[in-house]
Amino acid sequence: MSDDGNSGTVLEVRDVTKEFAGVRALDDVSMSFASGEVHALVGENGAGKSTLMKILSGVYHPTRGSVFLEGAERSFKSPKQAQEAGISIIFQEFSLIRNFEVAENVFLNREPVGPGGLVDKKAMRRDARRLFQEIGFDMDVERRVGELSVVEQQLVEIVKALSVTARVLIMDEPSAVLSDLELKRLFRIIRSLKAKGVTIIYISHMLDEVFEIADRVTVLKDGKVVGTMGIGETDKDGLVRMMVGRDISDYFPGTRRARGETLLEARGLSSPGRLFGASFELRSGEILGVAGMAGSGQAELASALLGIGKQSSGEVFLEGEMVRIRSFREAMSHGIGYIADDRKALGILPTLSLRENLTLAALGRYLAGGFLKPACEKSAALREIEKLGIKASGPGQRIDTLSGGNQQKALLARWLLVEPRILVVAEPTRGVDVGAKMEIYRIMREFVDGGRAILMISSELPEVIGLSDRIMVMRSGRIEGTIDQAESLCSEERIMSLAVGHHYSFGEAAS
Amino acid sequence: MKLKPERLVWFILLLLLVACSLASPLFLSVRNLRNVLLVQPIGLGLAALGEAFIVISGGIDLSVGSIISLSASVAAGTFAANPDFPPALMVVLLLAMGAGMGALNGLVVARLRVTPFMATLAMMLIYQGAALFYLKKTVGGIPRDFRFIADGSVAGVPVSILLFAVVLALVWLVLNKTRFGRHVYAVGSDPQVSAISGINVERTRFLAYVAGGLLVALSAIFLSARMGGGGPKVGVGYEIDAITAIVIGGVSLSGGSGSVLGAFGGALILGVFYNIMNLLSLNSFIQIVLKGIVLILAVAFYSKKKA
Repeated sequence: MSDDGNSGTVLEVRDVTKEFAGVRALDDVSMSFASGEVHALVGENGAGKSTLMKILSGVYHPTRGSVFLEGAERSFKSPKQAQEAGISIIFQEFSLIRNFEVAENVFLNREPVGPGGLVDKKAMRRDARRLFQEIGFDMDVERRVGELSVVEQQLVEIVKALSVTARVLIMDEPSAVLSDLELKRLFRIIRSLKAKGVTIIYISHMLDEVFEIADRVTVLKDGKVVGTMGIGETDKDGLVRMMVGRDISDYFPGTRRARGETLLEARGLSSPGRLFGASFELRSGEILGVAGMAGSGQAELASALLGIGKQSSGEVFLEGEMVRIRSFREAMSHGIGYIADDRKALGILPTLSLRENLTLAALGRYLAGGFLKPACEKSAALREIEKLGIKASGPGQRIDTLSGGNQQKALLARWLLVEPRILVVAEPTRGVDVGAKMEIYRIMREFVDGGRAILMISSELPEVIGLSDRIMVMRSGRIEGTIDQAESLCSEERIMSLAVGHHYSFGEAAS
Repeated sequence: MKLKPERLVWFILLLLLVACSLASPLFLSVRNLRNVLLVQPIGLGLAALGEAFIVISGGIDLSVGSIISLSASVAAGTFAANPDFPPALMVVLLLAMGAGMGALNGLVVARLRVTPFMATLAMMLIYQGAALFYLKKTVGGIPRDFRFIADGSVAGVPVSILLFAVVLALVWLVLNKTRFGRHVYAVGSDPQVSAISGINVERTRFLAYVAGGLLVALSAIFLSARMGGGGPKVGVGYEIDAITAIVIGGVSLSGGSGSVLGAFGGALILGVFYNIMNLLSLNSFIQIVLKGIVLILAVAFYSKKKA
């Protein structure tokens, strides 16, 4: 109803800087949010959106700078304090208890208590019902949250936030889990909140949504504000240009133009609701990059290829021959290795030594008469430690005491020892310092130079562009296009426009 | 100074020995020392090794006591009915039963994906019920040849100690020097990582339970040989003792870490602790209370050390 609810500034950040162990995630950010506006926040992965939102909602404290709520400087010690002051955040992963009914979730930890200290369930349900009606929705508050659709769960989250009189509601990529129809319902909810004077901060990768729902948009990049505009003053081209346009650092070992024969071909890889008919070829000697916004199906692509995905389907050909890969062990027996994106959860074995971590996948090579040969195993470990420049006191050091970069190198070494023909690597340099990054790139390039191939999934565009010979861009579970750097050098803009669904007329080969 | 749990255990044992000899003049007698350091720890030690195997793989076994009860009941019951049953065959039978019960536990955990706690809690009931059904009360009549395992000696060395030393060495070898052993640690440390490193997680878990069952069966063989009998209640509480021992020995209940020697050291400490409580004639119910306190202290100690 209101185009610009210009009833003044409700929330403001001034000169906010946030550093993590010397790395600057936010750099002198100043911006303000008006009451009753929908303010979109866009930027690449790692631009600082989440950090800023976590500061606003009391999860982090700024290293420098201040937050003003309705003109008064505030310093929130916890999310609870921020919430009580009127700022609530709705995370991508919901914080609802599935076995509780809607009303119980809305009033979790604030249950109305009747005489005798017992929870007054009637009052709770009545109040919950009223809260839903206030924003124009009828909700059966006695249903269990686990039975609700995703958008209904979001609605419960929103009402829960409103019930503590939220002035500002932060939505972190609310659409990531929604269908088109559900998205329309979410926008309806947002509009009715806006009409009530609630300020919405809307984070999304999907520019179409931004233009449909937002009043103003702010672009963040590398921790800085690039600009804030009214939605009428810009277009998608402009936003994309603001989001990227960064110099690609020159520490990449370069892409190779000459490529060999096809090592692997995937046809129609699918996973219900997540991945739709992805087909591609992987040739010997190349690094094939997979780019796209977070959650666009990259993980499912890897799972389907590696036999990890439970319900995935599709055909895989290795050097022309069709193979069935139903488990990761089968993938491995076909010479495929995998380094997952989450080093802590899916990479290292924290309780074991560096040596044990290195030789984990290749133990069969160090056996004699059924027993492991310690000398043999140790010398293999030492060789890799030296070759990859892993900094450790020795192979016996526990791996969880090493730095992130050294852990990541250890994971590469784990697979180098197996000598696969194909390596699937996700986020090879996440949380790794620049020096280790360069070395990891060099190791990956050397690996493929021996006639092997890497499928690299990465959310860091400079990395994708700097390292990949070809780049597949995914969006919403589909391969939107493949860019061959032998034909034309890729730019961040080309990738981003494919990734956010706004096509330039470059004529990418659609898959 | 930072001590690895497995060394720390021996240090604590030494302190405990000194404290005990000060607390009771009987403690240092040759007979008592022989009993507390050589005889007593074997039954508990074997059970603790079995438990350690399973816990390192990321599981737990609450059915240890019931496996012992059922095994000892079968031994005593069979010998009572048929005194001429060949002792060697009995050993094989009990080992096969132990492996079978371990395999059953392993199947329920690895294949049916019941959490280890619930799975072995249920199996505890099943084995215990079976033991009670099979033999109503404790009976004697274990033949001399079978008892040789516990009180015989070869060239002056007790058979039981030889047996235990061999088993300890074997378990150490398997856990530290074989691919399977490494897989046990890996799966216990992180099953997901293990799976995407090509390890057959299900199989590893299953085999850890089989190995555990075998070791517990050995414990049952030794115990029934020493007692000269067996019954459906002889194993009661052994799972708690085994878990307490390995926790004292630095085996992490969250899996993936701990050592064989540490587990053995833990069993020794627990044995000495029981011994001194008896020597001081503590009320047996108070002893149970103290056991509980020791268990809490041990777990709290290691979790604090980790944090």
